Order: sequence, then structure tokens, then C-alpha cells
Amino acid sequence: MDYFSAFAISASGMSVEKMRLDVTALNLANVHSTRGASGQLYQPLTVISTAKPGAFAAAMTQAGNASLGAQVTEVRATLTPPRLTYEPSHPDADAKGFVAYPAINPVNEMITMMTATRAYEANVAALNAARVMAMKALDIGGN
Amino acid sequence: MNVDPVGFLPPLTEVAGLQAADAGNNVGTSDFASWLAKEIGSVNDKITGSDQLLQKLATGQVDNLHQVMIALDEAKMSFQMLVQVRNKLLEAYQDVIRMSV
Repeated sequence: MDYFSAFAISASGMSVEKMRLDVTALNLANVHSTRGASGQLYQPLTVISTAKPGAFAAAMTQAGNASLGAQVTEVRATLTPPRLTYEPSHPDADAKGFVAYPAINPVNEMITMMTATRAYEANVAALNAARVMAMKALDIGGN
Repeated sequence: MNVDPVGFLPPLTEVAGLQAADAGNNVGTSDFASWLAKEIGSVNDKITGSDQLLQKLATGQVDNLHQVMIALDEAKMSFQMLVQVRNKLLEAYQDVIRMSV
């Protein structure tokens, strides 16, 4: 059915927002991590998403927007300088007694989380609208 | 007033096509019976597919909840459409049966 393409588009948006939430949660979990998986300092991550090109092209190229939803193209580290705290007793302290913590701003992360949640909700709303339309279409000629 | 004859209805020999659709899928894809058989098959595929997804979710092999929900919804909508097609068919059939000749 034609409505399933609307479902697929909304699903791709939901996947992207879910990814964004996962990455934000990872950042928040590593607020006090002095070492990442590679032994280096943990770098705050950010999700880069773009429109996904797809076979929907015929209908959408006229609007100059040949896309079949959204996709995550990259999860990249934001190259921000670390936050230095004076803790000489910490095992990861440098020669001067400073420990480098990742520059994660909890306020920014919370805002990213809220916008991701709202965007996810918006995708669900769009999907429900498509569903209601399809169900209404099935009511044609009833009674 | 000019009334068109009922020319768009297929002749009764189409019943043979229905039986052929039962036997296999080598019938021409243009007739209604094979279309209906195909659609019923795809609805069935959707329902079994969503069933498998649900099983995977229960056993923790799927971490994408919305995909499962969307698959369930697609299956539900496909089935609703099938039911509506069946209702219309039955309605038309009963109209014909009640027709006094």
C-alpha cells in the first residue's frame, strides 16, 4: 500500500532520533570518565544526520527533494578541549596534578535529549496521521 | 438516455481462472483472481513476519521497538484492507444472488 512509504519515512526519522538519544546517554554516562575505550580521553560525540536518497525519487524530485527519510551519516567526536580539574591523588593526573575530564555540558546534553524526544514524538504523530488516513480510506463506501 | 451495457464485467469463464489460481501461480497476472490470491499471500506474509518480529522482541534479539510496532500496524492495516475487499465482494455477490430475473 502507498501508506507504507509514509511509515518507512517516519520509521527512519525515529531511528535517527533514537540514535541521537543513545549518543546523548553515552555522553552523559561518561561525564566523569577520564579514559575512553582506546585509553585516550573520552571525546563527547554528536550525531550527524542527513536526508536519505531513495527510490521515492519520481514523486519527490519535482519538489527538488528526492528523499526517503533520514539517516545517520556519522557519529563524530566534538573536538572540544578537556575540562581540567586539580586532583593530584587521581591515577590519571598529569605531572602538575591536573586531571582531564571530557568537556561534556550536561545542559546541552539535556537539551539535545529533549529535542530528540520531541522529534521522535513528532515522527510518531506523523505515522499515526498516515495510519488514520489509511483507516479512513478503508471506511469509504461503508454503511 | 443512453445506458452503457455492463461490458466491464468479465465473462463467467473466469471461474476457470479462479481454479487455476488455486493450482498455481502461472496464470496471467491481469485477472482479479490471481491478484486476490497474491494480495492474500502478501497479507499472510506480513502477519507471519510481524509474528516472527514479536518473537524476536520477546527473546531480546530486536532492540528497535518502533520497527516491531510499525510492522504490527502494517499487518493490521493490510488485514483490514483484505476484510474490506472481502466485504465488498460478498456484498456484490449477494446483490447478484438477490437479483430477480
